Amino acid sequence: MASTVASLSTPATFAAADVLPRKVVGRVWFPVARRSGGFAVSSSGPTTPPEISDKVSESIKKAEETCADEKGTGECAAAWDEVEELSAAASHARDKLKENNDPLENYCKENPETDECRTYDN
Amino acid sequence: MAAFAAHTSAATSHYSPAGTAILLRSRRRAYPIRVSCLAASAVDKTVVIGLAADSGCGKSTFMRRLTSVLGGGAEPPRGGNPDSNTLVGDAATVICLDDYHSLDRAGRKARGVTALDPRANDFDLMYEQVSAIKEGRAVDKPVYNHVTGLLDPPERIAPPKILVIEGLHPMYDERVRDLLDFSIYLDISDEVKFAWKIQRDMAERGHSLESIKASIEARKPDFDAYIDPQKQYADAVIEVLPTQLIPDDDDGEVLRVRLIMKEGVKRFSPVYLFDEGSTISWIPCGRKLSCSYPGIKFSYGFGTYFCHEVSVLEMDGQFDKLDELIYVESHLSNLSTKFYGEVTQQMLTHADFPGSNNGSGLFQTIVGLKIRDLYEQVVAERAVMTSDAVRL
Repeated sequence: MASTVASLSTPATFAAADVLPRKVVGRVWFPVARRSGGFAVSSSGPTTPPEISDKVSESIKKAEETCADEKGTGECAAAWDEVEELSAAASHARDKLKENNDPLENYCKENPETDECRTYDN
Repeated sequence: MAAFAAHTSAATSHYSPAGTAILLRSRRRAYPIRVSCLAASAVDKTVVIGLAADSGCGKSTFMRRLTSVLGGGAEPPRGGNPDSNTLVGDAATVICLDDYHSLDRAGRKARGVTALDPRANDFDLMYEQVSAIKEGRAVDKPVYNHVTGLLDPPERIAPPKILVIEGLHPMYDERVRDLLDFSIYLDISDEVKFAWKIQRDMAERGHSLESIKASIEARKPDFDAYIDPQKQYADAVIEVLPTQLIPDDDDGEVLRVRLIMKEGVKRFSPVYLFDEGSTISWIPCGRKLSCSYPGIKFSYGFGTYFCHEVSVLEMDGQFDKLDELIYVESHLSNLSTKFYGEVTQQMLTHADFPGSNNGSGLFQTIVGLKIRDLYEQVVAERAVMTSDAVRL
């Protein structure tokens, strides 16, 4: 994956992972440090909501059927256009999920004046 | 006999020259005259920007960079349709031209017509509403729901300071084209498009390399016939091509991006490198700046593009660190930044956006600054006109 310019963000995300051991029946469990979003999307990106995902796979099947009979017609193009539209919608849904993942961000969007959410420009 | 600036009613004339003062006598006129305060009506006129892009609406990276440069953010309208494509912010409102589809998904399938086809879009309504917003009147714009594929009930759009219309056909219709104060076309080459669609869709269940390829190929005829010709009308074209720095096939990671800027566009001064109007080839990596493979290469020159005079600024390669960005920025001229390092700051603020490390993010940011500059020029011109009218 292409590296981002501000690679300074890498240490911060690791520090955020909590490493408190939890005792479970005599054994010590360490939760695995998770990398959160911001880079390397392929490792832990959110998955598409199932309704849209189903629509995408259905439309692909339909398009393949339509184009198997008659290639190069308007119906074939319209079917693949539908696939493209749904894939774009799926990708937007994934992005929206990624955006909504951070509870602090969501809280601060609604309440920017609270102490936790104040930003200082200078 | 009162002398004051007046508008004739818009019923008969399409063009009302704002800023002209007409002497009126107190006799009855044959046609109705609407007297309005020149200051208010001049400020109400919205600046309209058109963006032609294939990548969906409103949430694209370009839009997010643009709204960040203009300030005031942009969110989907609160309390409205959750699947709305519109973004509303303090400075700008972005509307998606897919909302002007005349046929919904079922209708298009029945007629065997893609969304790229002009027959699936209502250009009369588009022209009517964009010109209404431009003149300062709110409209009820239809909503096209991309998830269900249906046309939802309309939503109210209040005229903003800057209106951005984004979609497949902003410059297709001549009347809409004339309303645009500035237009941009995002031209992605076939190889890059394929690589990006693979990245986007491979994780999707049901998609395979063949289905992605088939989808692009099936849409290509309509795309070439209806969407591609719009690039001759654009004031700025951002071309994204595969890199020339790496000799054999790479996976579309490193990009070569060209910013083609039309000469002679009102209120738009092209960016240049070192010496305007000359031809430059520049590799910034060397003694002062160290870059990692494959490095960065810039070129600047001029030429013709579809019979127009243009300047072309090109960047091939990737930014690896902050130093490179600021170094490059300090050598570019006519960026319309408000302070030194503004481009770098904008790129860093959105370091997680795609294209933040190559020319596409850089040029999108620069175009955003140019749009901001254009808007401020328009505002300044109006202020001058208003003060002139008041003096009369």
